[in-house]
Amino acid sequence: MPSPTPRPDDPAAVLRTSPRPHADAAPTVLKIVIAGGFGAGKTTAVGAVSEITPLSTEEYLTEASADVDSLAGIEAKRTTTVAFDFGRLSLPDAPVPLELFLFGMPGQDRFVDLWYDLSRGAVGTVVLVDTRRMESSFTPVSFFEDIGLPFVVAVNQFDGAHRYQPEQVRTALELPASVPVVTCDARDPNHVAGVLLTLVGHAVKNASASRVHHAPTTTFQDA
Amino acid sequence: MSTHGRAAEESTFVRTYTLTRGRTRPRHLLGLATVLDAGPGRLGPAQAEECEEILALCRERRRSVVELAGRLGRPVTAVKVLVSDLLDAEALVVPLTHPYADTGAESGPSTQLLAALSAGLKRKWPDAIAYPQAG
Ligand SMILES: Nc1nc2c(ncn2[C@@H]2O[C@H](COP(=O)(O)OP(=O)(O)O)[C@@H](O)[C@H]2O)c(=O)[nH]1
Ligand SMILES: [Mg+2]
Repeated sequence: MPSPTPRPDDPAAVLRTSPRPHADAAPTVLKIVIAGGFGAGKTTAVGAVSEITPLSTEEYLTEASADVDSLAGIEAKRTTTVAFDFGRLSLPDAPVPLELFLFGMPGQDRFVDLWYDLSRGAVGTVVLVDTRRMESSFTPVSFFEDIGLPFVVAVNQFDGAHRYQPEQVRTALELPASVPVVTCDARDPNHVAGVLLTLVGHAVKNASASRVHHAPTTTFQDA
Repeated sequence: MSTHGRAAEESTFVRTYTLTRGRTRPRHLLGLATVLDAGPGRLGPAQAEECEEILALCRERRRSVVELAGRLGRPVTAVKVLVSDLLDAEALVVPLTHPYADTGAESGPSTQLLAALSAGLKRKWPDAIAYPQAG
């Protein structure tokens, strides 16, 4: 009697997948979101570490629709498009071959459908704060708090702007002590890489903490 | 980040509607980060010029849906419709990934993957600024 389960070497089992040998398997893709208001340095930060010039990618936004994966309803005249940044870098020397995708996420909350799309399955988010427009960071910060995506806050030091200490920004944005707040220059790859490392470290802590069920949330995170 | 004016929006819509021959929904479930490889299949006749562009890009190296959309200057959903056609023709295929690749779409990557990411970033940028960790 034929088995209903295809054998591993059954060609049907690999239909529509690459004929390349497994040694050449595609690297695992991880995503990080860089959020911030207009001019906060998103494109600059993506470009500082990306192996390609950041691409500006467009997507439709239909009003009052969560169905971002469909053009249906586009006939309605209110269709708009929104652009976001995309950059990537490969990490072939990681213990597991990895490719990191970076998404620059526009700041206004009318793009919230896109925010969900960019955030799905992501490692976490860097919220870039331009201290000249601190208020534009409130909405993204509460969005990531609400969906439970780990985030760190990176304060850009723009020339001529008043230099805030990270703790002042933490207070202004009402961030809990567990959220890392750092200063960075989005133009400098070593700064941006450091911020990404801070985010990954923070995400590891969150992942370990969320595994301890019913633990008081402050006990381990805020130590 | 930009939103275009009303006239530009409508012309984007007309261009895209023509490009996808009126289809508004991709047949395959594709994410922004879905990666595609050139496959053995051939393109049928009368395909959009953009399909050739997609294939040429994917022959150079694997490309994600989001990168294809960025390079073609077309909205992501429109590119997903074309990529679906190319998957049906097996002109594109989804490459095999390493077995660790289950990143758990909703729950986020595993701590093992996060550790690998951290190690990979440190190797790539040994001079990365070491920020003191909060918490
Ligand atoms: N001094 C300084 N300038 C920056 C920094 N990051 C970005 N800029 C500049 O600020 C401007 C806006 O940055 P951009 O990346 O386009 O912002 P976006 O709108 O968030 O993508 C550009 O002229 C950048 O060169 C930074 O960390 N320090
Ligand atoms: Mg920008």
